[in-house]
Amino acid sequence: MQEIFNIFIKSIFIDNMVFAYFLGMCSYLAVSKTVNTSVGLGLAVIFVLGITVPVDYLLNEFVLKEGAMAWLGPEFVDVDLSFLSFILFIAIIASMVQLVEMIVEKFSPALYASLGIFLPLIAVNCAILGGSLFMQEREYQNIAEATSFGLGSGVGWFLAIVGIAAIREKIRYSNVPPALRGLGITFIITGLMGIAFMSFLGIKL
Amino acid sequence: MSTEIKEREPLFSPKNMKLLTTPLNLSNPITVQVLGICSALAVTAKLMPAIVMSISVLVVMAASNVVISLLRNGIPPRIRIIVQLVVIATMVILVDQVLKAFVYDVSKQLSVFVGLIITNCIIMGRLEAFAMANKPWPAFLDGIGNAMGYGIILIIIAFFRELLGSGTIFDFRVIPQGAYDFGYVNNGLMILPPMALITVGVIIWIQRYYTRELIEEN
Amino acid sequence: MYTNGYIFRYAAIMVIVAAALLSLAAVLLKPFQDRNMAIEKMGGILASAEVEGVETDNTIELFNKYVVEELVVDKDGNGDPYTDGKMEDGPAFKINMKKELYKENKGEAYQLPIYIVNKDGETIYVLPLRGVGLWGPVWGNIALKEDFNTVAGVTFGHKGETPGLGAEITTDGFCNQFKDKEIFDDAGNFVSIKVKKGGVQSMPQNMQIHGVDAISGGTITSDAVSDMINDVLLAYLPYIQKQRAQ
Repeated sequence: MQEIFNIFIKSIFIDNMVFAYFLGMCSYLAVSKTVNTSVGLGLAVIFVLGITVPVDYLLNEFVLKEGAMAWLGPEFVDVDLSFLSFILFIAIIASMVQLVEMIVEKFSPALYASLGIFLPLIAVNCAILGGSLFMQEREYQNIAEATSFGLGSGVGWFLAIVGIAAIREKIRYSNVPPALRGLGITFIITGLMGIAFMSFLGIKL
Repeated sequence: MSTEIKEREPLFSPKNMKLLTTPLNLSNPITVQVLGICSALAVTAKLMPAIVMSISVLVVMAASNVVISLLRNGIPPRIRIIVQLVVIATMVILVDQVLKAFVYDVSKQLSVFVGLIITNCIIMGRLEAFAMANKPWPAFLDGIGNAMGYGIILIIIAFFRELLGSGTIFDFRVIPQGAYDFGYVNNGLMILPPMALITVGVIIWIQRYYTRELIEEN
Repeated sequence: MYTNGYIFRYAAIMVIVAAALLSLAAVLLKPFQDRNMAIEKMGGILASAEVEGVETDNTIELFNKYVVEELVVDKDGNGDPYTDGKMEDGPAFKINMKKELYKENKGEAYQLPIYIVNKDGETIYVLPLRGVGLWGPVWGNIALKEDFNTVAGVTFGHKGETPGLGAEITTDGFCNQFKDKEIFDDAGNFVSIKVKKGGVQSMPQNMQIHGVDAISGGTITSDAVSDMINDVLLAYLPYIQKQRAQ
């Protein structure tokens, strides 16, 4: 139980997808204009990560990994399908994203309109494929750990995007040089936040 | 769709040329459309990987734009994301497998980028925004144009990060030993990802200073 | 509007075509890829022992020439030698490091390979390494001289470390630092070799022989290399101690 909690905290703060690995930057920079939209996108990312990581975990454990097909019978022990992991992971992610897109369109057309092209782009939000690949690489012991990692990474991403959105809402009242307004200053602030987050790097849980 | 036969456009009509040139500045994928940032951070600590990545993206983008544009009338909108990603991923993995089998040394250099290319939102962004609604030839040009716009920014960032961070260009030492003896030190911060973000910020600043129409409202 | 039936048909056909293409490529190309990987593995072993003139074409030939013996060692430090036949077919060469280290981690019995290279009369013991880097696995070889203490050379490889940062572990500049470093202190205690952030200079004088400079900006990968050397050498320690006692 403690291990699960550790993974959760670790993936939020120490292994933060945005600041430690710089994953999921595109939608992070482009959709962080207001707190409202970023909360919406952040929740969508938590949802997608929370589902795809455990699903991909099962897929990896029972289909892809070398020897994973052993449950089908002894003749399958040597089957190694790991070359399919990229495409299967991305297919699972894409279908989840498509699902989220349909749900959001149905229940919150306003959010759907403001997310625009970035909703389908969650599918290529590298934080999400990154989540599944990290899960495969780090070999979590059971599905609870994988789920906690997925949710933690999602929450970390959520916090990061809500944080930058709040700063951007404040910065609207500052006198930023015209050419730097909007995107430029966001890049620079993100860089500074990244440097600040590096102080978490040394912590071991 | 009208049934009239349209007059054939020349291959490099002004409209088509525009597809090639606007992404270099006015609709630059990185500094204006905000696409492909993750890879821009990951491969720009040195010039060489930045160039390799730019070329790979150029090839993959042109090819996948054409494929999706050819398929565009048959793709059901509800599953278009899956179709786009499967097309990109299949192509990239196939190329990687072939390289691994026959030119192993090249594949060792490239294998790092395989995952980055598949999840590079610039590719899917252009599929979604352009190739789904246009004919193969314009889609091809759009792919090339955007990949070049992406490559230029990558190379600029990598140039400054390598020069200031490691004091080298293409791994050749360009800052003379004398400067180090005099107390010059490489700025180690430059090779960390946060400084790539700040470099992009500065590039945007300079670009918008000269291209006034890009300036955003506060 | 597209009917559901059309969508399902479309998806099914697309998945089948993509899967068929990929499987076909994987099956057809596997022998070539395996051969390339075996050559890379042999090249790494030879390079860590500093055998010169290794090219892709002559790797297998040189490997069979320079590697005179393969050992499979277990957790009690007993070595099972293999000397006859081609070295590329030896039992040690087929060992999957990842699986064996996983067993070691869980406290089960494990088997690890050692390659004994005879280079112009000098005997060098090459131990393969494997660990986890920032983005994926890192691996390598560490070559020890006959005293099982002094490092003769190392090589590293990785799957996806950041280009220009962590990926620098494969460069000569990084690897050459390991040469002539020692893994035991004067009292004979195992200390491994540490990849030190801030440079060797920041270590105490008597520890500098056990340290190398880390890669600036590649802290996590550098730490991973440190951990990898320490963990894997610990797994080999029973065998090394036995040899040193003799």
